[in-house]
Amino acid sequence: MKHSVNRPPTPDEDDASEGFEKDEVTLREIINVKLVESGEKENLMELVRDRLVECGWKDEMRIACREHVKKKGRKDVTVDELIRVITPKGRASVPDSVKAELLNRIQNFIVSAAL
Amino acid sequence: MSGADGNKSSQTELSSQVFLDLVDSVIADVASECHRVARLGLDRDLEVVEEELRLSVEARAKVADPSNNLETNTKFVVDIFGQTHPPVASEVFNCMNCGRQIVAGRFAPHLEKCMGKGRKARAKATRSTTAAQNRYARHSPNPRYSPYPNSVSENQLASGSPGVAGEDCTVRENVKGG
Repeated sequence: MKHSVNRPPTPDEDDASEGFEKDEVTLREIINVKLVESGEKENLMELVRDRLVECGWKDEMRIACREHVKKKGRKDVTVDELIRVITPKGRASVPDSVKAELLNRIQNFIVSAAL
Repeated sequence: MSGADGNKSSQTELSSQVFLDLVDSVIADVASECHRVARLGLDRDLEVVEEELRLSVEARAKVADPSNNLETNTKFVVDIFGQTHPPVASEVFNCMNCGRQIVAGRFAPHLEKCMGKGRKARAKATRSTTAAQNRYARHSPNPRYSPYPNSVSENQLASGSPGVAGEDCTVRENVKGG
């Protein structure tokens, strides 16, 4: 892997973070591919699902969905709408322990993938 | 080296991104599942709530419709506790004029006789001076039109003899209360 991949963002753009993100996107893609290929992505998904079910997070999300469906009426709801409704709450309400565990594993993977 | 620092921060950033991707996937799964349940009507509780909502709306419409209640159910109007009141009040109490035991539902006609026509009643009333004073104070305006719908006795008294106005007020209040 080229060292240039890890260089700091190019400052000549208006939004410095933009440059950073562009690098990020390619990097993310690479990581993603590696995750999938090694089967680690599958493992991580299973781990996340188990943890989130255990701690009741999934039930909370389902309740939130039902509330929304009740409001909107059962026939009109779309999947996109439901996703839009519960994503902010969902992201925020992941327990810290679960987050820490997952981040740890991901970081280990990134390191071990020699990036 | 800035490279190493950049490395670490980008790593944390990266792992956060990966983590968020995973969470988003799970969220999408949950949303999809709930959507399916909702559209297929598999959620029984939801159905029940909708049913109740519909019934309550119907019930409200029925209550708001006045013609419904007035014409039918005049004998057996049901109040909010589900009790029906018989059209004729059946409680028995003592008439404060003659002291007899009267059925509440028959009290007004009783008063007619008790206070108005009966010679005994008239004699009794004129004995009390306060009653006489009240009588003159109250009966001067509008003897025909009384504000109280059930004071048949007052009309009769006014046209017949200026009877017991003082007692009239108190009695009327009792009748309304009973």
